[in-house]
Order: sequence, then C-alpha cells, then structure tokens
Amino acid sequence: MRQEIWRVFSFYFFLRKKSPKTKAFFLLSWAAVLLALVIRVYNLTGNWTESGQVIFQNILMSFFLQFLIVILALFYGTSVVTEELDNKTLPYLSSRPLARAAIVIGKYLAYLTLTTLMLISAALLSYFILSLDRDFRLIDLWAGFRYSLVLTLGLAAYLSFFTFLGTWLKKPMMVGLAFGFGWESVIQYFPGSTQKLSIAHYLKSLLPQYTTSSGKLGFLFIRLEPSRPLVAAAVLFLIVIFFLILAALIFTYKEYLFED
Amino acid sequence: MTAIIEALNLSRWYGNVLGISEVNLEIQPGITALLGPNGAGKSTFMKIITGQLKPNIGEVRILGEKVWNNRHIFRRLGFCPEVDAFYEELSGFEFLFFLLSLYGFTTAESRKKAELALELVELTEVKDRQIRSYSRGMRQRIKIAQAIAHNPEIIILDEPLNGLDPLSKRRIIKLIKEFKGEGKTIVVSSHILPEVEALTSEIVLIHQGKILARGDIYFIRELIDSHPHMIRIKSPHFRQLAKILAGEDYILNISFKPQENVVIFETHHRDRFFNRLNELILGSLVTIDEITSPDDNLQAVFDYLVGK
Amino acid sequence: MATIREKGYHHWEGQLRDKPWNFWPITRTGIKLAFERRRFKLLFVLSFLPAVIYGVGVYVSERLENFKFMAQGVDKTLQVNPGFFRSYLTLDLIFFEILLLMSLSGAGLIADDFRHKAIQLYLARPLSKSDYLLGKAGVVMFFVGLLTLVPGILLFILKLLFSGSFKFFLNYPWLILSIIFYSAFLMIFFTAFVLLASSLSNNRNYVIAIMWSIYIFSNVLGAILRIIFHSPYSALLSLKANLDQVGAAFFLVKPPYDYPWFLSFLLLISFCLLAYVVVRRKIRGVEVIR
Repeated sequence: MRQEIWRVFSFYFFLRKKSPKTKAFFLLSWAAVLLALVIRVYNLTGNWTESGQVIFQNILMSFFLQFLIVILALFYGTSVVTEELDNKTLPYLSSRPLARAAIVIGKYLAYLTLTTLMLISAALLSYFILSLDRDFRLIDLWAGFRYSLVLTLGLAAYLSFFTFLGTWLKKPMMVGLAFGFGWESVIQYFPGSTQKLSIAHYLKSLLPQYTTSSGKLGFLFIRLEPSRPLVAAAVLFLIVIFFLILAALIFTYKEYLFED
Repeated sequence: MTAIIEALNLSRWYGNVLGISEVNLEIQPGITALLGPNGAGKSTFMKIITGQLKPNIGEVRILGEKVWNNRHIFRRLGFCPEVDAFYEELSGFEFLFFLLSLYGFTTAESRKKAELALELVELTEVKDRQIRSYSRGMRQRIKIAQAIAHNPEIIILDEPLNGLDPLSKRRIIKLIKEFKGEGKTIVVSSHILPEVEALTSEIVLIHQGKILARGDIYFIRELIDSHPHMIRIKSPHFRQLAKILAGEDYILNISFKPQENVVIFETHHRDRFFNRLNELILGSLVTIDEITSPDDNLQAVFDYLVGK
Repeated sequence: MATIREKGYHHWEGQLRDKPWNFWPITRTGIKLAFERRRFKLLFVLSFLPAVIYGVGVYVSERLENFKFMAQGVDKTLQVNPGFFRSYLTLDLIFFEILLLMSLSGAGLIADDFRHKAIQLYLARPLSKSDYLLGKAGVVMFFVGLLTLVPGILLFILKLLFSGSFKFFLNYPWLILSIIFYSAFLMIFFTAFVLLASSLSNNRNYVIAIMWSIYIFSNVLGAILRIIFHSPYSALLSLKANLDQVGAAFFLVKPPYDYPWFLSFLLLISFCLLAYVVVRRKIRGVEVIR
C-alpha cells in the first residue's frame, strides 16, 4: 500500500506542479511577500514603529491563517475526487492495480506537498523580510519556523476535511465555502467551548501572542480563549488522521457516477 | 474450457432506469463483441466487469476472482473507456509513462512499454505533443494505447473504433486480431455491425439491458437478411420505377405516396435491389431526387427479436 | 463577419432579418436552468429576507408610537431616508447573497460552454458574440436586479403607502432615480465580475473559488493596508469598499471613506471594461485552432 501511495503521489505531484492553476495560487501566496516588502519599506521610512514580529503576526498571519490556507485547502482538497469526476479520468485510476484508499491518500499528500511549498516559501520569506534586522536572534528564527509549522498543520487539517467533503458530496465547493469562510470566521469568536469547534481556534492556540506597542493583542487573538498548545496540536493531528481515514473509506466503498 | 469472464445473473439499474438485467455470460479467450444500439447496456456491462460499478444483483468474476475493489485483477486487465477524457496537459508519452508507473514498473520499463504502445497505435511521431492538441482519432488511439501498454491478458475496449478514420480502423482491427493470436481475451463493444463483422464472428447482441442473442455473425446476418428492408424513393418517375421493379423476385411489397412523388419498396435483398437501381439510373431510365431507408436495420432486427 | 442566416438544408420562402432580441433565448434558458436546482430555489427565497426585514423597518418607522415600548431610541435609529435605502443596497449580506446565488447559477454560464465546447454551437446560429454575451449577462442581471432594484423600488413604494402621502417623494424626488441607477450599477458590476470569473476556467468549481477568492482577498487586502498606512485610499483595493463609496455618492450621503468617490467609480468601471475585453477575447479564442 505504501508503494501505491508513493506512485500516486509522484504522478499527481508531477501533474499538478506545472498546471496554470498551481502557478496562479503561487502568485496569490506570494502576494504576501509583496505586502511584506511594501510594509518593510514603509517601516524603514520611519512611518511605523511596530516590530516585525508584531506586524507579521497581526497582519500577515491573518492573511495566511484566515484566507490563504482555507482557499488553498478548499480548492485542492475538494479536487482530490471531484476533478477525476468532472474530467471523467477516474477510470484511468480505478482500472489500475491501486487500492482506492491509496489513490485518495496519495493525491492528498501530493496536494499537501504542493500547497505547503507555496505557503511556507511565502510565509518564511515574508517573515524574514519583516523581521530581519540587527536585533534578530535565534529565537526569532525559531518563531519563523513555528509559524510555518502551524500553517502546515492548519493546511493539513483543512485539506483533510475538504478531501473528506470531496469524497462524500457531489458539490463540495459550496459546503466548503460555507465552512471555511462562514463557520470558521464566526465560531472562533464565540465564548467558552464553542470556539473549540473550529480549526482556527487550535491554530491560534499554537501561535506566540505578541502585543502591539500600545499593549494590545493583535486582532487575531480577539476573544481567543486558547487551548494548551499540546492539546491543540493533538487535536489538529487527530483531525488530519480522522478525516483522511474517513475519506479513504468512503472512496473505497462508494460508487461514483459521471454526470452524463 | 473455463471462462475467463463470468457474469452471473447480473443486474444493474440507475434509479428507475435499467442498465442491464439478468445477464448471464461466459466469455472465453478470443474476441467477443458486444453489439447493440446506444443505450443498450454495453457500457454498463463493461463498467461492471472492469470494477467501475457494482452490480445491484449478481456477481462477476474474472479468472475466478471477484472484480469490485480487487486491485490485483487490474495487473492482468486493460480497459479503454468510452469517454473522451484525458489529462490534457500531458503529452502522449507522459500520459502512458505515468499510467504505467502506477503499475510499479521501473522508469526504464515504463519508458520502454510506453514507446512500444505508441508504436503499436502509430503515435510515435506525436508522442511529445500535448494530448489537447491531438485530433479525435489520435485521442482514441492513445486511449487504446493506455489499455494495452502493460501487456494485459484481458483487454476490455468500449467503442474503440469511435472517431477513427477508415485506415485507422483497419489498423486497430488488425491489432486486436494480433492480440487474439497471442491468446488474449478481448471484449469489444460497438453499435456498428460491419465493424464487429470485421473483428470477430463471436457476437453477443444486447438490447435494453438484456442479452437477446449470442452466436455466430452469420446467424445475425441471416436474421437481418430475412427481415424485409424498406427503401423510400422520391422521383418524378416513381410509377415507372415501380413498374420496372415490380417484376423482380426480391421485391416483396410496393406502396405509394403520390402527393410526394414517393414509392416505398420492401425487399429482403438490399444488395440486389441497389444494383438494379444503379443500372436504371445509369441507363437514364429514371431520375431520382431522394433515397432513404425509413427503418434502421439493426433496430429492425432487435424489434424482430424482441417481438419473437 | 455576418451572422449565419443563409445556410440551411431547407428552403424557406420568408424574409430573413435580424431580430432585436436574439439573446433572449439564452437569458431565458439560463434563468430556467437556475431554478431547476433545488438548492438554488431555497437560497433564492432566503435571499429576500433582508428586503423583508427592511420592509418591516419601513412599517415600524411609520408606527413608531406603537413600537416605542419595545426599544428605546428607535426613532433615532429607524429613519427612512436616502441613507436607509443606501444601507440596504450596500449591505454585506446582499453582496454575500449575490455571490452565493451566482455560485450556483452564474459560475457555469460560460465555463460550462467551454467545457462542453458549446460556444461553437451558439456561434453557428444567427447569433453574434455580442448576442451570446448579452444573453449570458441577462441571467446575472436578472438575479442581481431581483435582489437590488426590485426590493429597492418596493421599499420606496411601501414607504409612500405606509406614510399615506407623497411627502416622502417630494422631500427626496431624486431618490427613486438613485435606487434605479445604483441598482443598475450593481447589476453591471456583478455581471462583469461573474462573467469574467466564468470565462477564466472550464470548471465551475474553480470559477466559484475564483469569485470568492477575488472578493474576499480584495476586502482582506484593503483592510490590511488600511491598518498599515492609515490611509482611506487603501479602501480602493477593496471591492466592497468601492461599492460602498459609489453607493454613498449615488444616494447623496456622506461617503464612508475620505477620498473622492469618483475614484472608486472609475476603478469599478475600468474593472468592468477589463472584464469585457477579457471575456470577449476568451470567447474569440475558441475560434482559434492551435
């Protein structure tokens, strides 16, 4: 099974890395780098005195966390199965000696790798653009990698959930949009345990909380009642595994008919 | 001889629409053709035997093993689907190469097999072009190539000759016959009798989800020949034409539509009828405005069989 | 190139002439197909909820004495004036509903034709590319108009009916024109937006992702730049902010951002023109054999 997953992974990583849509999403991800450059130049002119860490977390992480990873995961996750149905290429996979679960997991891993590369390259670069100065320490380097890890975990979790939606529903995009930009945007600000029903809550719980020069927390942390980091990481990891297994099971036993 | 493909009491429906019903079939090595009009159930049957669909009732076995979710079967089976669908951004070579890699072949093996398959379907010259730039015939051929590239024992081809020009059809027919000579089992579907005739003498007639008849091509041919054909001719000399042909022994019935200048002949020897008509036209004895055959021969045979 | 009228297999003795409403069958079919989807019907009905709420608001504003026991200060907040109408037509929820409905009924307008290679079928009829585009645009305009123009006019009429006089009209004689022109502006903008997105892919799921990405990304970017630069001009990057700014100008109320409204207007009009150019090129592209 591992070999089958690897074969599917290789196939789809090669196939999608050159596609125009991947290029478009790369550009979208790197909008953050452009933004970081603009902010840095503006900062250097003395117009703003916030530290790079604070700016990155309050502004760019909001962009990454609440928009980019959701849109990337939504687009790629729902595509794992639906693109084979829309393009009617499913027979080419299902008539090969591949476990159906291997197809889902292999594609998931291929898309996760692609999107992680897009995301992390943009995140790290924009972080360094904003944070690199004379006071840059090793701990700041670790902070950069920590952000990358959090984003990767978030991407993996969202991607897993949307992959599950794609295997289960005929039209997963609308439900995915409602979840990613509706539910997630709203529920994370609810008090008490309710906010724990969102993936964003656990991601934010893993982030270091910087305050602005006025002593305020960034708006990413408004109304956040963070979970313990270990618990948050475990929950996210469980989400990844749970929905991926569910997706693999559904794809293994479900029949898919083309819309003729 | 043990059947390679066994379908036992197979039924499949899509909501209220019947796909196939109570199909019992054993397929031996060689070429077996599934013949039937569009919507007969050919593709449904093929999708079930290739594990794309599950039957609602019954089971299908290939080489004694169940098909659904049995990925090991696919090492020995190749499937060419009917749909015209590809990973369009790949070149022909890449398409075959990567699909071969899914079997676990090494890079060198995959490359070699891909090139051999391209050679067999005569696409070597365009192997590095993207599939989206291929013509209809090339697309069909690359689809056949992906079904045969890994040298399977069993090849299932759903309407493989669709979209091919006459020369390509001949080449593919020749290729399929070569596979038969190698001892492979090939199942081909088509709705065009002459194509099937060129491929094999072993035919399964399928219509409205049921197997109507199975047997030799000549048996089917006789059924068609014994069933009268209707030929409708519009001509200013329709009465003269009727007068001339009424004396021929292969004319069973003549009827008229005088307001339209139309005469309708019923005959069970189409070839002799048209030969005689050609003589009349070339001898300037009649002029013809329009010739049509109101009944589709294959449909007529099926109607005949269903009525039987 | 002249539209195809002369070719055919049957002789017809009548006169061949251009019809002014060539695009209408395309629009009619698009609307019909939209209503064949169950989810669309449900969402469509729910989309009128804001209009109903605002309608209730109009009623309450005329019967404030009866409702004063329910809320203190309601007379101050519930004033039906140009700002009231502007606030309805620039509601976040209205734009959200438009995008939602267009995800179901507008995303595939051109994308599906690309996928099924149907554009050549359209253009092999006596239809020009403009007819085709007008037909598709008609579908979007129909639904956007139903959510903006129709409720806007109905709310205006309701106000006149509930107030029992034409005083409201005499106070704001230009208001009905503001409703019509701003609704028309929204119809044109969303038509350009949806058709542009639909022409960028042959997969309607990608089109939906593109539509939402552009809309949300522009708003997020505008917000981020506002925080960084503390400049009202940052709002020019946000589609929603631009629509708000133009809306305020149409209704002669104080604009939400401190920069000239015509900048937003020009930006949105340029966007529409760019969309038109791109869509036309994409459609023309199907005639090019590579």
